[in-house]
Amino acid sequence: MQGVLGAFHELDSAIHAIEDLKKAKLGDITVFTPTPRHEFDHVLEHAPSKVRIYTLVMGLAGVTFGYWIPVWISDYWPLVVGGKAIATWVPFTILGFEVMVLIGGLSTVFAMFGFSHIPRLTMTVGYDPRFSSGHFGVWVETAPEQADAAIELLKKHGAEEVRRER
Amino acid sequence: MSQDTLKTGDKPTGVKRREFLKVLGVTGAAVSAAACSEDTGKLIPYLVSPDETVPGVSTYYATVCRECISACGVIAETRDGRVIKLEGNPDHPMSKGALCARGQAAPQGLYNPDRFRTPMVNEGGAWKAITWDDAVTRLATAVAGAKGKPSVFLNQHESGSFPRFLDSWLSSMGLAPHLSVDAEADQAAIEANRRSYGVAWPSLSFKDAKLIVSFGADFLDGWGAGVSQSLDFADARAKLDNAPRFVYIGARRSLTGLNADEWIACKPGSELSIANALAGKSSLEQAATDSGVPAAQLQRLAAEIGANKPLLALSGVTGDAALETALAVAALNQANGAVGVTIKPAQPVTSFEGIASTAQVLNAVEQMRGGSVGIAFVRGTNPAYTLPKSANFAEAFAKVPVRVSFSSFPDETTELCTLIIPDLHSLEQWGDAEPLRGTITLQQPAMDPVFPALKGSTADALIAAAKNPVGTYREWLMAQLPGGKPAIAAALPKGMMAGTLPARPTAPAAPIAARPSPASQGDFTLVTYPHALLGDGRGANKPWLQELPDPVSKVAWSSWVEIHPETAQRLGIDRGDVLEIKTATGSVKAPAFPYMGIHKDAVAIPLGQGHHATTAMGVFNPKKDAGTVQWGYGRYARDLGVNALDLLPVASNAAGGLVLDGMKVSIAKTGEHRTLPSTEGSARQHGRGIARAIEAAELNRPEQEEHEVLPGAASAEFLPGLRSPVAADAQGELGAPTAADQGKLKGMYDPNDVRGMAKRRWAMTIDLNRCTGCSACVTACYAENNIPTVGAAWQNATIWADARAGFNIERGREMNWIRLERYFEGNPDAKFGEDFETRFVPMMCQHCGNAPCEPVCPVYATYHAPDGLNVQVYNRCVGTRYCSNNCPYKVRYFNWFGYGEEDRKQYAFPEPLNWQLNPDVTVRGKGVMEKCSFCVQRIREAENRAAVEHRDLHGDEFTTACAQACPSRAITFGDAADPSWSVTQLIEDRRAYHVFEELNTFTAVVYLKKVNHSAGAAAPQA
Amino acid sequence: MATSASPLPGGQRPNIPSAAVRFPAVRSYEQVDNEIAGTLRPTLGWFAALGIAILCLLVGAATWTYQIHEGLGAAGYQPPVMWGVYIITFVFWVGIGHAGTLISAILYLFRAGFRTSIYRVSEAMTVFAVMTAGLFPILHLGRPWKFFYLIPYPNWRLIWPNPKSPLVWDVFAILTYLTISSTFLYIGLIPDIAILRDREKNPVRKSILSMLALGWRNSDREWRHFTRAYLFLAAFATPLVLSVHSVVSFDFAMALTPGWHATIFPPYFVAGAIFSGIGMVFTIAIPLRKAFKLQHYITLNDIDAAAKLCLFTSMVVGLAYLTEFQIAWVSGNKFEQDYFWNRVFGQWAWAAWIMLICNCVLPLSLFSQKLRRNTTWLFILSLFINLGMWFERFVIVVPSLSHEFEPWQWGSYRPTWVDYGILLGSFGWFFMWFLLFIKQLPVMAMMEIKEVVPPRFKHGHTDPHDLTADQIDPDQMGVAH
Repeated sequence: MQGVLGAFHELDSAIHAIEDLKKAKLGDITVFTPTPRHEFDHVLEHAPSKVRIYTLVMGLAGVTFGYWIPVWISDYWPLVVGGKAIATWVPFTILGFEVMVLIGGLSTVFAMFGFSHIPRLTMTVGYDPRFSSGHFGVWVETAPEQADAAIELLKKHGAEEVRRER
Repeated sequence: MSQDTLKTGDKPTGVKRREFLKVLGVTGAAVSAAACSEDTGKLIPYLVSPDETVPGVSTYYATVCRECISACGVIAETRDGRVIKLEGNPDHPMSKGALCARGQAAPQGLYNPDRFRTPMVNEGGAWKAITWDDAVTRLATAVAGAKGKPSVFLNQHESGSFPRFLDSWLSSMGLAPHLSVDAEADQAAIEANRRSYGVAWPSLSFKDAKLIVSFGADFLDGWGAGVSQSLDFADARAKLDNAPRFVYIGARRSLTGLNADEWIACKPGSELSIANALAGKSSLEQAATDSGVPAAQLQRLAAEIGANKPLLALSGVTGDAALETALAVAALNQANGAVGVTIKPAQPVTSFEGIASTAQVLNAVEQMRGGSVGIAFVRGTNPAYTLPKSANFAEAFAKVPVRVSFSSFPDETTELCTLIIPDLHSLEQWGDAEPLRGTITLQQPAMDPVFPALKGSTADALIAAAKNPVGTYREWLMAQLPGGKPAIAAALPKGMMAGTLPARPTAPAAPIAARPSPASQGDFTLVTYPHALLGDGRGANKPWLQELPDPVSKVAWSSWVEIHPETAQRLGIDRGDVLEIKTATGSVKAPAFPYMGIHKDAVAIPLGQGHHATTAMGVFNPKKDAGTVQWGYGRYARDLGVNALDLLPVASNAAGGLVLDGMKVSIAKTGEHRTLPSTEGSARQHGRGIARAIEAAELNRPEQEEHEVLPGAASAEFLPGLRSPVAADAQGELGAPTAADQGKLKGMYDPNDVRGMAKRRWAMTIDLNRCTGCSACVTACYAENNIPTVGAAWQNATIWADARAGFNIERGREMNWIRLERYFEGNPDAKFGEDFETRFVPMMCQHCGNAPCEPVCPVYATYHAPDGLNVQVYNRCVGTRYCSNNCPYKVRYFNWFGYGEEDRKQYAFPEPLNWQLNPDVTVRGKGVMEKCSFCVQRIREAENRAAVEHRDLHGDEFTTACAQACPSRAITFGDAADPSWSVTQLIEDRRAYHVFEELNTFTAVVYLKKVNHSAGAAAPQA
Repeated sequence: MATSASPLPGGQRPNIPSAAVRFPAVRSYEQVDNEIAGTLRPTLGWFAALGIAILCLLVGAATWTYQIHEGLGAAGYQPPVMWGVYIITFVFWVGIGHAGTLISAILYLFRAGFRTSIYRVSEAMTVFAVMTAGLFPILHLGRPWKFFYLIPYPNWRLIWPNPKSPLVWDVFAILTYLTISSTFLYIGLIPDIAILRDREKNPVRKSILSMLALGWRNSDREWRHFTRAYLFLAAFATPLVLSVHSVVSFDFAMALTPGWHATIFPPYFVAGAIFSGIGMVFTIAIPLRKAFKLQHYITLNDIDAAAKLCLFTSMVVGLAYLTEFQIAWVSGNKFEQDYFWNRVFGQWAWAAWIMLICNCVLPLSLFSQKLRRNTTWLFILSLFINLGMWFERFVIVVPSLSHEFEPWQWGSYRPTWVDYGILLGSFGWFFMWFLLFIKQLPVMAMMEIKEVVPPRFKHGHTDPHDLTADQIDPDQMGVAH
């Protein structure tokens, strides 16, 4: 994996650099930003995250399981308490709901981990500590022969620093 | 106290296997050889042939209860050779299968941890344990030394042959005959009976009376033959609309008074003029002025007496004029056709024969003070405590060189003695009694002595001390009994035989001069009375009786001063303010208990508490003091409350009885305050219809059946029968007459129910009209279910915790699975002179069909058993206590401490009290909830027995401990799904109702309304 | 760029925070990092506070040990009052927990701006409060060593808990709530941990932080899924927070005890919980803001807004109280009426009036903007609110039990030193965790603040800050001109 990494101090210059990079079709672009900014979403035009599907499916699974536990428990040993029916579904809604939230919530998080490839064990190439603090980073994954063009382009837009990485 | 610590060898030992087999062996021998053999049985089981006797199954022995004068026939239930419970003997004319709280508590005397475990001798002020033989030799030498000198023998009064044996022994030793002492006996009444009817105590028949008038005669608090009287009284009240009305005349309204339909609150001591007036000997106006009772009221009473013959009038006055009053009342009886009908001299209660008067005892004390007495004996009785302090018994007693005690407990008198040869408990020795003329009751030992070091009873000791052996006491006794060996052998299983004992030597009936109480001044009149449970104090060392709240005040583990609320308000006295009561002769300090049932010019203090040791001893410490002699009548009695006798002058009435009330006292606030250890929350029902009553007049108008319908509450209409806990029913779709099925479905309790969950519905009815509030059921429950007592001073936490007797009671932590609620009705502002009504409600787990406690338990520790029981699973309980929060009846009790764990200071069954524990019932551990189980162990036992015999349960085959003990037969237990049980009829009674029916709990306990007989047609109350 | 904690770098002067400019005194991303990461340096005062907290915790632990050995009787239970300080404190802490989730989740969904600066603190508060609350149901058991009977764990006897019991619902609700809220807290922390990781020099700390950061790189892909997941978690946490305290209220509402058996309880408890939680947020955030010199992040506008929320919930709670009384009055149910009379004018009047004054009367002062922006008053008020809300639970638990259906069993209640010792211990436990947190991890979400702070632009954007206002004390920042 190799490419060019450019660090920008200003937001607009980073945006314009990305726009031109896309036009130039120099390769896949990854943007590093200290905080999520909609400007990037606009230029990158990514499809919305699929996390929500997991949330929905696992949530439904959770509520089913959450109902099943108490019903099975009650029927396994049918003890009469307070003259109530053995399996009373109304109060079991509470357990159903809680288990739904538990499983749904956790699976959302794990889906998020999966989609964004974390936890990752090593910082791969193309990352700079500045990106967590104040700078915007643009990483173009490109072949060496096209690297110069990319560097050129990034510099033109006023990248503070540009470097090849491999 | 190091000398007092016992050698380990003296520790009580469990029944060893061989001994146990021995017991069974002789049992067998007894029955098989019943006809002839010389060795006719030592122990003969009750109606159980030995081959059926297997470990784990109870064996029953018929014997005699010696806890009070009456000497009821009882049955001792023994398990593996140990007595675990006393029950009334159903065939005995006195107890008829019932037993009072004091009788129930007898095993706690037998197993009392403070019982002497060896004979002891006092040498140079230090006590030393000695062997029984050594003690007997010392006794012999002492007796020999005292020959010729005057002697005194104070013996606990008892019916039977022993007194005769004792006197013959004394005379053979050249000693004076004994005095048969009982501080509880109403000597005035006895003397009056002798003079008017020729017997010490005629049997009374409340059933046959049209009107009952009691002049301070507390026949439900221990006056006379307690059990038989309350049985008969309850039967009388059970006649509902034609039951006799009951009028109580006295300065203090005792438990008996609370059971009366009307209380005439007269000035203390004015009973005589009322009695005379009613008998027409003096004018009613005079009586009215003497007694402070409106003349109209007396007028009405006089008219009523005239109109309702036969009358039953009783006098239990203990003032100076006691004898005169008793005689006047006897005259009243004679004038109103009582004799032979309601008072039966033909059937005398012989246990009251031969009681020495207090005057005689006081003479003996003076004789000792004279210094001439060479030797003095005490057995069972405790004069150092039961005589007023002003009699200076101790000082007089000290003048006697040799003082021998045969008492089992380290009481005040025994502490003053030089030689102690502890008697065996009545459950460990042979004896006999003749409670009723013609009925000899046999006392056979139900077990081997708890403490092997005690080789024999007093009688055995006396025989051994007399160098010329006359064989064993048992042989002597058998010779006394009519009919010879075969008759005895036949009688022992039943514990009774017909025939009479030779008349006992009555004490020299020298005419006694009344010793009137000296004039004293003060604004109030003192009334003292024997405690309904502790009696003259002999009950104070039994934790069950200390824990059991007094039926009237509901105070436990303490003394109290009753004072009328009006007076209290006037003097700015609050409940619990410590008052100092002063007379010329002494003063005591006790917390105030404002009580409507006391005359506004009187204060009342119960006797029975305030035991003290001569040698200074602190509060008992289970860690350090175990095994040491607990002077002051044992760890449970010492330094608890006050002894009201400290106030009294030495005064006796014309019958020689001690004057207990009438002297003037002054009261003063000390400024201290002490929360009364009381189980009473609110004494009023606040119109919640827990204890309901109905006027006799209303009874026959069922359509007038009134109910406490609380606004916004569910149907409070009584739905007959008991219904099932099924969801549909909870919605009221089944069972109600209005329901679609017309109430035909009985849910899962219908034997034909397809769900087939249960054949039975265990249920209970409680007849509030029979219940007298005596609380015997509570003690029975403690005995049956191993309920710990929690009130002792050391049963609290360790660090920064109050070590105060009754602390746990103050905090409401008592464990009484069944409790007696005492609710007052009427007279809302507690005005003196305005009458009020009392209703007693035994309240235990209602075993609800729809139990609120069940669904909230997170671990199914409580759930509904198919046979209708609300069961509690101790092993599963984690102690969230939610069930108790959700119980409307508040009948669940929590183990706040490890009451059942030996190594804890809170341990409720210190060795050997734990011998009494019922092996069929778990001793609950720390941190679990417990409650009434409807004696499930008895249910299962009966079911198993039936199964083994390949039969179904018979109706009324068995019952719960409370129902069995109840001396007024108020409680009925049974299977509501099986018509052969009598409970099924009672459930349909016109007086039946459920408590808090509007909560739809569908309880299994049905209460029957109390029936009131108010003077004239009063409005019905509920 | 100022790395010191001085709020106003380079002598620049702030002006009024507005909807457009929320942190006028915050000029750049780097400043955010420096100032907030700067608060992590331990101070002497912090060590002292931590020491005290741990001491209290030890007292509590010792007391509990004693109680387990002796039995619950060591505590002040007085049947029929079978629940006391422990259940009261349990509900109290659960309530505290709720504000955190409310602020971080519900306000997130509502896009309420003032949430940004305080949500991390309150979220941490939530987690630790629930950890504290979770102890009490175990602590108040008669046999705490058997608490696992309440959990449906597989066992060969196949004995299960009773799913009809509100206490089992509690187990589910509390465990879910603890899991979800701590997950929520951690997820929000990941980008900030990444920041710390990148700043960290010490290799040991760096490796630990790297592990916690899960290799977060601030890439657009990560941000895309992160924001999505965060949204859904918030969407789950919102009904959860409502359900949890409803379930807690069922512990009472499901019983037929007068004073408990009321359908109003769930909303009433939720409102109370949020109210008490905001109170606790003030108690914590106001001193924190001073100690960490973060006045220009937690601006008076934020506090003002939170104060309004506090006022609102206080009035909701007040309404609930009145409704309770009114229902009891019109119900005609004798038990209810007796109980409420006894609660407000009888035996328990003192407790009831402490509750009413602290929760309904004093907060009315927040109608005045001056007081809403007076941090000293808010702090004092918040203490009263905490007290008042503890007493609300006292008034619900104790008087009801002491005055039930059966007059013969009416009683009273007096806690012993054991109850108080364990109560103290619970505060020690809570503050120990909280103090450890604030020095290990940022008390504010740096990356979210950066969202608000305008980024640098090369051209086309003028500096949004006008520098006309006078130099004023940060605390006075934004007082209306």
